[in-house]
Parts: sequence; structure tokens; C-alpha cells
Amino acid sequence: MPTPLARIVPWMVCGMAVAAGTPCGAQTGVGVGVGVIKGQVDLPREVAPVARRPDIRGLGMPPPRPEATRRRSVVYLETAPGEAFEHGNEPRTLIDQRRETFVPHVVAVTTGTEVDFPNSDETYHNVFSLSRVRSFDLGRYASGRSRSVRFDHPGIIRVFCDIHSHMSAFVLVFTHRFFAVTDDEGRYRIEGVPPGTYTVVRWHELFEPQTRSVEVPSDGGEVEVSF
Amino acid sequence: MTLPPRHRHRLFAAVVVIVAGLLGHPPVTTGQVLPSEPISVAAGRLVISAEVSASTAAKDDAYLNQSDYGQNALRRLALGVTSALSLGARVSVLADVRTESGQPFLVHAAFVRVRPWATRPIDLQAGRIPPTFGAFARRGYGLGNPLIGLPLPYQYLTSLRADALPANTDDLLSMRGRGWRLSYPIGAQTQDPGVPLMSALRWDTGLQVRVGDRPVAIVGAITTGSLSNPLVRDDNGGKQIAVRAAFQPSAGLLFGVSAARAEFVSRVVRDALPPGATPHMTQSGLGADLEYSRDHWLVRVEGILSSWRLPTVAAPLLDTPLRALGITAEGQYKVRPGFYLAGRADHIGFSSIRGTLFEGRPTPWDVPVTRLEVGGGYYVRQNVLAKLAYQHNWRDNVRDRRTRFVAAQLSYWF
Repeated sequence: MPTPLARIVPWMVCGMAVAAGTPCGAQTGVGVGVGVIKGQVDLPREVAPVARRPDIRGLGMPPPRPEATRRRSVVYLETAPGEAFEHGNEPRTLIDQRRETFVPHVVAVTTGTEVDFPNSDETYHNVFSLSRVRSFDLGRYASGRSRSVRFDHPGIIRVFCDIHSHMSAFVLVFTHRFFAVTDDEGRYRIEGVPPGTYTVVRWHELFEPQTRSVEVPSDGGEVEVSF
Repeated sequence: MTLPPRHRHRLFAAVVVIVAGLLGHPPVTTGQVLPSEPISVAAGRLVISAEVSASTAAKDDAYLNQSDYGQNALRRLALGVTSALSLGARVSVLADVRTESGQPFLVHAAFVRVRPWATRPIDLQAGRIPPTFGAFARRGYGLGNPLIGLPLPYQYLTSLRADALPANTDDLLSMRGRGWRLSYPIGAQTQDPGVPLMSALRWDTGLQVRVGDRPVAIVGAITTGSLSNPLVRDDNGGKQIAVRAAFQPSAGLLFGVSAARAEFVSRVVRDALPPGATPHMTQSGLGADLEYSRDHWLVRVEGILSSWRLPTVAAPLLDTPLRALGITAEGQYKVRPGFYLAGRADHIGFSSIRGTLFEGRPTPWDVPVTRLEVGGGYYVRQNVLAKLAYQHNWRDNVRDRRTRFVAAQLSYWF
């Protein structure tokens, strides 16, 4: 079974090919339409939220915190058509820190995205990652402040808080824009996909990736792919 | 039972090899086959976590790092399992069992935590509870400690015992610097270790109340033991009263003051005293602690003033309380993601008494000791930490014995 890093290698190769002006990845069709890949992700089993380590040294009840849903997956095209790599403006998104929880738990972005990590709690937070793709440590900062990280390389980055060990999040960085994070019911929708044959991948933090092959017809339209 | 040093080192090596081997097969996204999160069962009602830590250093034949847990803090293999059972939103039961270097599992903590009113910041804890006094003892054994050694006020064994007392000042002066193993004529007729200013490794038993949270929290507790000698079962009929006030004006600044008073000596000593001896043989403590953190810095300073009032039995008389002041200052700086540097300076000083020894000059009742420890930590994974530290101790009566140590520690937790 390929590791997450092995899975992103094709994206990187593809990115280099695009830079050289060569069409890359999927076998793109000649039609004029663009399609939509949508579907439903049902996880193999119910996923429990991240538990807080027993606070044996506390002098009282820890504050309640919302249960970060871990049901969300990311669905993406393993390889993408050449035009997918043409980014316009430099995108920006955020992962909030609220009641000792990263919200949302999973974000998917394109390379070059700046992710803000505002602190909406009264306590300090210290966002960090030891991921090889992008390691960082934002240090401790107080309520109302925000620090950001730019993700320039594709891959999976796991994010933690150095003070609250039960806080974790994932940032998935792609070189193309053909990905979607599922909603609470597991639904997803990838729009603007040129005609062609693609491999669609379902990623979830707790399960091995699943793949499906899909063909977007030359006249576009919606294609259903469920996991 | 304690493992022989040779076997302890083999065990340490085995832990290193096993952890390294397991980390070598990354599945999915966690990057390791060992658990990285607490085990949650019964729909999250029961949560179990664990911590294993292996430390190694040269043999400490001056017993500078000997703790009241019976272990050298630089040479130990510790396994702790912690659980929390939630009985609704306002009641939970917590327990922590721990084994050190092959000894049997001991219950380190076991208490019930109750929040009687959902909207009021009042909490009750009953059982073997976290310490009320000071700051370090609640920071955690391995993970809350950026270095490998423990702060002197929480670890260094003085020449006082709760179950045996000197008859006069000369008895006490003759045991200076021998806290790792000492004997006195009154009480238990054994050779056993002394007590630290405050124990970080053993927790007391009783009832604790916290009122408030931020910016001001007040905690009070009534327990069976004392700062130096926490107990499960009362051994002297007295109770300890401890209070702590913590003020946190901003997220990164916390200032705390603590006070405690308890009957110190055990019943075996009381029974051995002549009639008419002072009825109160107490330990009193005052503490202050400060923590400031910002960006990649963390600084902590803590002081403990402990005073023991012991009976006078024979000349030369012990007619003043025995005092000890312990101060510790610690700093930590994260150099880069996953790698930090840390340093700690400690000192314990003792009040002077006069006997016939030392030519009758006023002499500290125990030998002052100073320690400097510097080191760093590297996160192999988010929950695997390797530490390396260098420790230098200064104590007057250490001759021809090792005072400098290089120590390594590997910790894993989930």
C-alpha cells in the first residue's frame, strides 16, 4: 500500500511537466464541456472524536470542548489536467482554535496557500507541525492574535498544539484544484473537471486511501463516484 | 524489588530498539504503529492514556538524585497508565498507576472529581489527589519536565525523617548530607531515607476544593500527610491544611502563592518520646511560583520555605525550628520545530543550629546543595521525545564522588 508521500509524488511530477508546457496527468478529451465529479463517502466504521488525555494533574473539571468531527474525508484527483495547475491569486484560508479544538479539523488547499491560525480562546495556544513536508512552530500566542503558515509543497501536514495534546488538525496541500472536503454527511463535489479519465482518491486520516477510476465525458455533465 | 543496574541498562536499550523499530513502519497518516491518541472506549466515557519513559546515566554514588520514590531520577524506567471514567458532565473518576524500574505497580492517584453546579466554577476532588501546594508536582513526571533531573526542592532528600528523630542537635549534625540513608535514636530503629522539602512523586490523600478559575483561583485541601511525607493512611492523627491562590492576569503569566501546615512525625515517634514532649511536631511550608511564557520562551521560578518544629529531648537542645529554603529557576527555548534547549538552576539552603560538633559553631543542619542542569529535547514524533542533559551538583561534603552526570531519556506517550 503506497504511503501518503508516495501518493503525492505523481502530483509533483505532474507539476514539473506542466511547467515545461506539456499536458499532464489524465487523458484529457477533446470535448468542450467541463464536468462535475460528486458522490458519497461512507467510512468503514464510526469514527470517534479525539479524546482528551485524562487530566490527572488538574485541580478541577477541565472546560468542556466541542467534539471535533473526524468524519470528514478529502476526495481528490490523483492526477489532474494541465490547466488545473494554473493558479491565479494567492489563496488564503484559516483554521480557528476554539475551545481547545482546531476548527475545521481538515482543510485542503493548493500550493502557495497561506493558512491563518487565529486563537479564539482565553488560553495560550502553540501551533506546530513536525511533518516533513512543512515543519513549523508558531510559538505561544494569546487570544485575539493570529499567526500564519504558507504551504508551498504538496503533501499531508499534521498540525498540533504544543500545550493541548488533544488538539490536532490536517492540512492537505495539492498542486491542482481538483479536490473537495466532504461535508458532515460525507457528500463531496469537485467542479470544473475537463473531460478525461481520472483516478479519484478518498483520503481519511484513519483509513487507507481508496481509489476509483472515473471518466468525465466529452460533453461534461455530472459523474457519480462513491466510496 | 529493583532491577540490577546491568539489567536496567539492557531494558533501556530494549525500549529504544523497540520504539525505533515500531516507528520504522509508518501506516496511513499517523506515521507510527504505536497509538498516538488516548484509547477511548464506551463512547468516550472511559479514556486511557499511558506514558513510558526510560532514563540512563552514570551511577550516582553520592545519591544526589535519589528520590523519595526510592529511585534515582536519572536512572529509571517508568511506566504510568492513567484513566478517566466520566459519569456524566459533572462527575468523573480518575486514576493513575505507575511502576518504576521493575517494581510492582503502585496507585499514584485515585480520586473522584465533582463539579456540583454546572455554571459555578467550584470543583471538589476526593481521594489520592493532586498536590495543592506549589507548581512543579502537578506538571507531570516526564512530559512536564523539560530536563531529566527533578528540581532539588522536590527531590533532594534532607536528613529528616518522619518516623525517626534525633535526640539532640549533635545527632542531627552528624547526619548532614546523608539523607539517602540515615538513622536516629528516637522512633524507628532502621536505616531509611530522609524526606524532601516537598514530594513531587507521591501524592497525598484527602479532600480538595477549587473556587474560581481565571484570573483568580483559590484551592484548599485537607489531607492525611504533609508536604514532605504524603500518605494514604494517616499515621499521626493530624491533618494537613494546604491552600493555594493563583493569579493569571494574562494567558502567559501566572503567579501563585501557597501555604501548608501539618503534623509531621509519625505515631512511632510520638510513642517513643518521653512524657511532656511538645505535642505539636509540625511541618509548615510557604511557597511562591511564577510562570511566564511567550512565543518560543518559557520561564518558571519557584521557591519553597519549609519549617519543621521538632521536640527537644536532650542537650544540646534543638530549640529552634529547622528551616530549609529551596529555590529553582527554569527556562526553555524552542530553537526550531521539534527541538528545544532548557536549563535549570536549583539551590537548597538550611538554617543553622549549634551543637558540640563543628567546634560548637553555628552550622547548617544539612549540607547546602546547588545544582545546574542544561540540556535539550528532540521530538522524534509528536509523542516520542528524546532528551539529553548535563547536570552539575555542588555539595560541600561530597569527596571523591561523582557530582557531574550526562543523562539521556526517551519517552513515549499516548
